[in-house]
Amino acid sequence: MKIYDHVQNLSARVGAIQVIAFVLLTLLGARLYYLQVVNGEYYSDRAENQRIRMIPIPAPRGAIFDRKGRILVDSRPIYNVVISNDGLKHAAGADKVVDYSQGLRLEPQFVTERLSVLKKQNEFESLVLKENATIEDIAWVEAHSLELPELRVELQPQRHYPLGTTLAHVLGYVGEISPKQLESDTYKEKGFRPGDIIGKGGLEQYYDEFLRGRPGYKKVIVDSRGRVQSELETVSPQSGQDLVTTIDLDLQMTAEDQLAKSSTKRGVVIAMDPNNGEILAMASAPSFDPNIFVKGASTPEGRKQIAEYWKDETRPLLNRAIQGRYPPGSTWKIPESVGALQEGAITVAHSNILCGGGITIGNKLTRCMNNHGSPPLDTAITRSCDGYYYRLGLKMGIEGIIKMVETFGFDKRSGVDLPNEKVPQTPKTWMKYVLKHEGKWSDIRTVYASIGQDTVVVTPISMLRAVSSVGMRGKEYIPHFLKEFKPIAAVGEEGDPNYIAARAGFTFQHPEPTLIELQPAQWDLVLKGMWGVVNAGGTAGSIRIPGFDIAGKTGTAQVAEVGKDVGANKDHSWFVSFAPAYKPEMSVIALIENSGFGAANAGPVAKAMYESYLSRRDGQLPATQEVAAR
Amino acid sequence: MVALTERGLRDFDWQTAVLAILISFFGVWQIHNAVPSENYWSKQIFGIAVAFIAFLIVAFTDYRRLIDAAPLFYAFGLLLLFLVLTPLGVEINGQKAWVRLPLVGQFQPSEFVKIPTVLMLAKYFGSRKSSVLTLREALVGGAIFAGPLALIMLEPDAGQAITYFPILAAMFFLSGIKIRYVVIGTVLAAVMVPTAYIVGVKTGKIKRYQQERILAIIDPDRVDPRGYGYHTIQSVITVGKGGISGIKGDPETSQSVLKFLPEPQTDFIFAVTAENTGFIGCVSLLLAYALLLSRMIASARQASDRAGMLVIMSIVCGLAFQIFMNVGMALGFLPVIGVPLPLMSAGLSAILSTFIAIGFVVSVRMRRFVN
Repeated sequence: MKIYDHVQNLSARVGAIQVIAFVLLTLLGARLYYLQVVNGEYYSDRAENQRIRMIPIPAPRGAIFDRKGRILVDSRPIYNVVISNDGLKHAAGADKVVDYSQGLRLEPQFVTERLSVLKKQNEFESLVLKENATIEDIAWVEAHSLELPELRVELQPQRHYPLGTTLAHVLGYVGEISPKQLESDTYKEKGFRPGDIIGKGGLEQYYDEFLRGRPGYKKVIVDSRGRVQSELETVSPQSGQDLVTTIDLDLQMTAEDQLAKSSTKRGVVIAMDPNNGEILAMASAPSFDPNIFVKGASTPEGRKQIAEYWKDETRPLLNRAIQGRYPPGSTWKIPESVGALQEGAITVAHSNILCGGGITIGNKLTRCMNNHGSPPLDTAITRSCDGYYYRLGLKMGIEGIIKMVETFGFDKRSGVDLPNEKVPQTPKTWMKYVLKHEGKWSDIRTVYASIGQDTVVVTPISMLRAVSSVGMRGKEYIPHFLKEFKPIAAVGEEGDPNYIAARAGFTFQHPEPTLIELQPAQWDLVLKGMWGVVNAGGTAGSIRIPGFDIAGKTGTAQVAEVGKDVGANKDHSWFVSFAPAYKPEMSVIALIENSGFGAANAGPVAKAMYESYLSRRDGQLPATQEVAAR
Repeated sequence: MVALTERGLRDFDWQTAVLAILISFFGVWQIHNAVPSENYWSKQIFGIAVAFIAFLIVAFTDYRRLIDAAPLFYAFGLLLLFLVLTPLGVEINGQKAWVRLPLVGQFQPSEFVKIPTVLMLAKYFGSRKSSVLTLREALVGGAIFAGPLALIMLEPDAGQAITYFPILAAMFFLSGIKIRYVVIGTVLAAVMVPTAYIVGVKTGKIKRYQQERILAIIDPDRVDPRGYGYHTIQSVITVGKGGISGIKGDPETSQSVLKFLPEPQTDFIFAVTAENTGFIGCVSLLLAYALLLSRMIASARQASDRAGMLVIMSIVCGLAFQIFMNVGMALGFLPVIGVPLPLMSAGLSAILSTFIAIGFVVSVRMRRFVN
């Protein structure tokens, strides 16, 4: 101990070092207590969260069939390059954009967008970076698995529309849920997440809930680089339900074909079974290719094409059948005739009204195409006498016309099972506006409204529905595409936490018609007039099919003023019909935009539809001519 | 070197030896937990065996003769550190801290050179007569110290360099540096370090990544959980996850096996220990360290000469400092600096140099009655 003499307080100094060492060790102990004893569970959870990852197994979407089981839409497996929101490796975002865009041949702009979507996801979820990966892409991902462990290749189903532009408006398409949709409460409540595929437009959208499957997932343990180490559990997906539609693909092809051959290549054809509202065909031209939306949304060319669709002045994305509103012209005379009989403006015994070659309101003469004398209702329909309806409209009054609008449901959507259907506009819609700006509803507006001009614009579907109900003597059905949703079996055992219940099959839920009341003799009179249009020297005599009597009505809707109907602003040509006249099996409406006279343009289209129908119904056109019994 | 006489065996410090062996085998277990798929743990057993032999040789050698030869060792140490900078040195991650020699293999001279540095300083400060540290003595001591330090900084290996400072601090403190200088030094450090940091940031002398390492300690989650804060966060998660008694069940999902924890078998071996043995295991380990350090300090008090006492105390300070730095880093309140945990971290150089150092402690203790 003698060394302690040399230096002052040596023992104390050694002691001080000892105390400091112990204090430091105690400090470490306290920190340990805080981390392990106080917060142990918190860190345990954090560790668990970062090593457990859910890899979604996408559920195949239900296929869509026509009424005869022919495939309209299905899904095919493709390879996608998927990026996982790894939580650790995206610090150097800019470098990655260059890596990804060069390696996978993507636009840097697109990669940046995808990464920003990814950032909104929860940690450890994943997003498709490149769809339809080629062999080169897959090889590149495999070759760079060390540097870019967040990328992986997955086999995923992709929606495929084998018919291309055919039926596109009805089918719609699918796409990734948009950021805007994600924000909205309806989608939030249902638990949608970025990257989810949903129906956009058409049946894909309307029946999305049923077509969409329930995705499964694999719960795996990953290391810090995101590489799967082991699987904990697998929950199988449940496919979506297959949809059988009422579409008859043969009729649909005929309809598309007819529109393609028409003079302006713009228009609508709808064929429906008036006995139940099943839509057999619905074509709207011009059309678009839904595959572009599915496959092209991630490629520059595809995006350009989509932008062109939106910019195109002929509006190929518009489903004219339910979203186009056109003045109905003379086709309007059919519901109006029913309305007039219902309200007693005319009777079966006394239905004659003066034509007079037109009518003078104030000092302005509004002309009829001919002077038809003083025809009865059926002749007025057959010859499409405007003068008759000018006076009938005035007799009914605008209130009478509005009542008719309500009777046939022109003030509402038809109820067709497609999204974004437009409501027709009628005097009922405009009454308030006109009264406010003009003080009163003038007679000239009533006159115009009685021949389907001016304040009247309707959707083709609403007109077809109304006229079909005339053929059915008052039974007005809701037009629809849903024939049947097939059931889907349950996934897993009942009581299992991952159990997904079976989904029952079902058919269209609103099969009962609304009824329009009229005396049988009154129906007969209207039907006689419509029968005559095609079969008794009427405006559409040229489309007569011997042995299969079409009842119909032509319409030539003015776009510009009379006499100026040339060029691009030519009249819209309508033909609305059903056949056979007294026991309808099919109703057809055809509209060719800006093509001119109704009988000349829309009429033959309707005829082609009936011929197509007949060729399959009987195998051949009937040889014997049946004349209408009545 | 004394023979293994009966007296030698009687005076041999079994307690220190057993504690050191226990801790190092506890370390082997943790190294195995850290990376079960690799053979680091078996290499470590080999290292411990070699180290223990070296320990016995040093313990049974008279430390005074070794201190007498200190200038030789010191010169040799400087040569080794110099070799690191020559083409013989091995560069890993931009650092040249290793040297590969024929026959000997690859090792880390900065680990070993601590011992000659301690001996050299002990020789110098042990022979002085004055009771208060003079400026001249401080300067000479500083010069001895500066040699190896400068060479290590050239590698550059700041983590190792920092572990040298406690040696010098212990020498000065136990050579009678005036308490007021200690106080002034402490206060100055307390003021200058933050000031230097701020000035460094303002003038751009402290690089962004260096700032982040500092900020990562203050709030690792906010700084950049995917970048510099990542190691700190993962270490803290790993420690916390251990809870009271450590993880149970599947070791395949441990933080180190899944590679969330970086360098689990070396720098972050304490986090592995915490994950596997929990609070109980960690506190036991810290207690074992406390016991070992106490025993060594007791030996220092009984040392028969001043140089022996200085050797032990500078080793004590070096070990205590390394333990604190390493565990503090694992617990997320000190910056991530590559300092191994004595006796625990995998690595032959570290285990060998630590056992040699403890050999000196035992050697001093065995000769406490000798004059």
